[in-house]
Amino acid sequence: MFSDLECDYINPIDLCNKLNQFVLPEMGAHAFLFFMFLINGSWFSMILNLPLVAFNIKKVTENRHMYDATEIFRTLNVHKKECFIKLAFYLCCFFYYLYRMIVALIAADA
Amino acid sequence: MRPPPGFRPGMPQQPSPQQQQRPPQPGMPMSPPFVNAAAPMYKQQQPQSGMAGTFSGSPVPRPRTPPALDGTPHSVPGSPPLASQSPTISAASSAPQSPITEQHHRTTRKRMYPEQIAKAYMDQPNTAAGPMDSFSSPAFQSQQQQQQQQSSPVPTMTAQGYPGTQPQQQQQFQQPIGNQVNQLAGQFGGMNLANAQVAKSIPLLGAAPFIADLNAPASPIILPQNSSITNSPYANAEESYKCCTVNAIPSNESVLKKSKLPLALVLAPYRTSDGDGSQVPVIADSVIARCRRCRTYINPFVTFVEGGQRWKCNLCFLLNDVPAAFDYDAQTQQPVDRWKRAELNYSCVEYVAPTEYMVRPPQAPAYVFVIDVSYSAVQSGMVATAARTILDSLDRIPDEQKRTQVGFITVDSSLHFYNMNSALPEPQMLVVSELEDVFLPTPSSLLVNLSDSKEVIQGFLEKLPDMFKETANVNNALGTALQAAFKIVSPYGGKIVCLQSTLPNMGTGALKVREDPKVIGTAKETPLLNAGSPFYKSFAVDCSRSQVSCDMLIFGGQYADVATLGCLPRFTGGQTYYYPAFHASRTEDATKFAHEFSELLAEQIGLEAVLRVRASRNLRMSAFHGNFFIRSTDLLALPNVPRNQNYVIEVAIEDELRGPTACFQTALLHTTCYGERRIRVVTLCLPVTNSVPELVSSINARAVVSYLANKAIERGLTSKLEDARDAVVNKTIDILGVYKSQVLGIGKGSSSPQLTVPDHLKLLPLLALSLIKHDAISQTSRISTDARSNAINLIRTMPLQLLVPYLYPNLYALHSMSPEAGEISENGVVFPTPLNLTTERLEPHGCYLLENGQDIFIWIGRGVVPQLCVDLFGVKSYDQLHSGKMTLPVVDTPINRKTNLLIGKIREMRRGNYYPAVVTVKEDSDPSLRLWFLSHLVEDRSDNVMSYQQFLQHLKDRVSYYEQKKGGIKDF
Repeated sequence: MFSDLECDYINPIDLCNKLNQFVLPEMGAHAFLFFMFLINGSWFSMILNLPLVAFNIKKVTENRHMYDATEIFRTLNVHKKECFIKLAFYLCCFFYYLYRMIVALIAADA
Repeated sequence: MRPPPGFRPGMPQQPSPQQQQRPPQPGMPMSPPFVNAAAPMYKQQQPQSGMAGTFSGSPVPRPRTPPALDGTPHSVPGSPPLASQSPTISAASSAPQSPITEQHHRTTRKRMYPEQIAKAYMDQPNTAAGPMDSFSSPAFQSQQQQQQQQSSPVPTMTAQGYPGTQPQQQQQFQQPIGNQVNQLAGQFGGMNLANAQVAKSIPLLGAAPFIADLNAPASPIILPQNSSITNSPYANAEESYKCCTVNAIPSNESVLKKSKLPLALVLAPYRTSDGDGSQVPVIADSVIARCRRCRTYINPFVTFVEGGQRWKCNLCFLLNDVPAAFDYDAQTQQPVDRWKRAELNYSCVEYVAPTEYMVRPPQAPAYVFVIDVSYSAVQSGMVATAARTILDSLDRIPDEQKRTQVGFITVDSSLHFYNMNSALPEPQMLVVSELEDVFLPTPSSLLVNLSDSKEVIQGFLEKLPDMFKETANVNNALGTALQAAFKIVSPYGGKIVCLQSTLPNMGTGALKVREDPKVIGTAKETPLLNAGSPFYKSFAVDCSRSQVSCDMLIFGGQYADVATLGCLPRFTGGQTYYYPAFHASRTEDATKFAHEFSELLAEQIGLEAVLRVRASRNLRMSAFHGNFFIRSTDLLALPNVPRNQNYVIEVAIEDELRGPTACFQTALLHTTCYGERRIRVVTLCLPVTNSVPELVSSINARAVVSYLANKAIERGLTSKLEDARDAVVNKTIDILGVYKSQVLGIGKGSSSPQLTVPDHLKLLPLLALSLIKHDAISQTSRISTDARSNAINLIRTMPLQLLVPYLYPNLYALHSMSPEAGEISENGVVFPTPLNLTTERLEPHGCYLLENGQDIFIWIGRGVVPQLCVDLFGVKSYDQLHSGKMTLPVVDTPINRKTNLLIGKIREMRRGNYYPAVVTVKEDSDPSLRLWFLSHLVEDRSDNVMSYQQFLQHLKDRVSYYEQKKGGIKDF
């Protein structure tokens, strides 16, 4: 999406409108997951996710969580970097959860 | 400057090439005085022979001919008579051609010409070389030289190293002498640029800053000769339209990094023309030659090849066809002289755009006034003054085609619409108090044609002050009113003018008082300088999409949140005006507001504009500063283009630059307020260099300051004001350090006792110091956030002409004016000598005038002679004089007349709508006023910020330290 903007396939207003739809759902889903770990007592997973939750909460309280069409070109690189890091983090988490699930299943079988 | 008569295809011509072979006319050789450097080449012979034809009847020698040059004309007989007609060949092959083959090619080539061109070319074989004269590729030139050497018996002291010199001779005699001098200077400058600059380096420490040179012209751009095809003196952009922080472009990024210089453009493309009546040339024949690939407009720096049939883009080097109608005037059905076309002679031209450049038919200007009628607005007299001003300015609103539309909304806790249909005898007021879901009561008749409904509007404006006279409503629903105004005007696009006196506290976009005196001057102040409500940003984006622009006139008694309200103009290409503590009962306040508002209404704005800057390949526009919305990576959307607004654009180098020059072309596509779609094109051409000393010697200090100011503001708004100040100082140190290490070549560790700078940078430290002490970013708790936001807005939009005095004000002594100062001479009003801004210059018995383009202060010392009070202010003594805003009375004494004349001149001499008000400050007046005045004396130590000499010492120490550090890195 961000490279679309750089190549001028999309204008910044549309881009921000599109992306902003997903900002809160994403944070909400993540927070829900975090909450689940908390009540399940999966401490390690919880600690793993803690930094991101804190980061999200900080952004929301400072009112910086939405993409701003007027600033997007200046902050484009930051957003890109942030997105890549998040993607990598989610990917790692996904495999970790998968691994834990399999371990749990095997343990249940045994 | 016209192109030379012998230089174009369309002139009366010699019948045969043989005529070229004739011996030179005695009167012809108008060669420049520096023949030794210039190879008498074949290029210059073309026009000479052309001139020979023209002048054949008058062999009288011209008086200008230097006798020493008698040797030059023998270049003419030896010229290859026909070589010029086959530019294709010459350009394509590197081997010298024999005249015979060339003739052959010429004839074959000619058949391929379009009709009009062919006509011109066939008749005049020798001038066909016109386009080629400008060909500046070195390969081509050297090849020409070879031809020259083969065919002419001229001494071959050719200056291979100075490829630019040859066409000069031919140009010289058609250009005014002043230009010759420039070229000469340029040439010499180009030769030993670095040496000259080293020689001129001057010490700063211990000396007062050279403020007399603040307005001295910037160092000229030294282009390789022959860069522009017409050599018109207007071929390169004026500084006021567009300039670069460095008047030479580094050839690759590593050079730029090594030099540590900022690379940015400072442009004000839509500035008003000067008082001398020079207008931007308009090209009305809708022949718009643009590059197929990069969409560059044809400009004075392109080259014509293939006999003028194609042109080579100077930005991307693509060959493009010259449009068939380029040399043809459709109106008179005559071939026209290509070299007279404005786009090849002027850096700044305006095209009348055909329909391909329109999304919809050109809109008419539309103005919707949103006027605050809450208690404070009415009490301060704002409503009455505004109504009066609009009434008086109705005839000044651009309305040549009788299409302009206007509408009015007044707002307190509810919205009041006015139906001003011309059929009604008097305006009908419609009140909407529903703020949640705004609707328009009579959508069709809220925006009316100005000329049709003039009487109704006049009736309304006369009544307006009385309508709300008794109001006690302290609320204001600005956000809702804006939404309503947007609904009215968005189908057409136009301008919303807001006059706001109360902080909006109801409906959408309600704001809170955020200011906290405790955080002012600390790092926590930054959020206060940013928007307090997201509504104003998102609304601005909506406006920008619908081609609606907002202007804000904010009147502050209390906190008015200029930072948030200023977002609207910022992203819609408008302008914010701020009137702190406005009260119409003070004449100075009322006149200032009325004048600026009236100028704002009368402004010949551009509508529906987009601005794009194209640059030579491998240069990229990387960041933008100014009032606009960035619609895509390099496209700025400006719903309205106000006059005289400034934009700063940072440039990044992506790869090695090709060619000896780099070009920047700004295209501003807009609709004039007379309903014509126009494209204003401004082209700036700069030489490319890979030497750091040359870069340093071509710094434009004022442009650098404009760049620093904009960067500092951005930094201040995103992180902390302190960081912004540090960044300014660090960049200054970088520049001075690079000069010291790269140009002076002073090695590591040698810390000299003096800080030396080149002549053109001598004011950079002073301006940098003024900047860090300026209201916009200074470290002080004295300035309210509103005033600071206003200063930030001003710096962001001010063109250089206004910015320099705004940073470093002018101080004049009124009590000791020389006899001619303050009088009108043939050069206009004579100003007294400006003084340095330090309290040392303030004598206790003195009376001084200080102006920065926004305010005029008159400082009266405690020990002032009573007679001066009588003569200047018409009061008996110092004690009877009042501090504060006052209009200088008219007294029939020389000093009063002179001062009034100076004030009048200060108010009109600069571009922009600003009208500085006079503030008198007595030496023992109340501290805040005194401090306000004294804060302008930037050379003094104030608020714990260094004085000028301390600052220089600091710079010197840091520069030496920087050297050592750098030397250390080098060693490893």
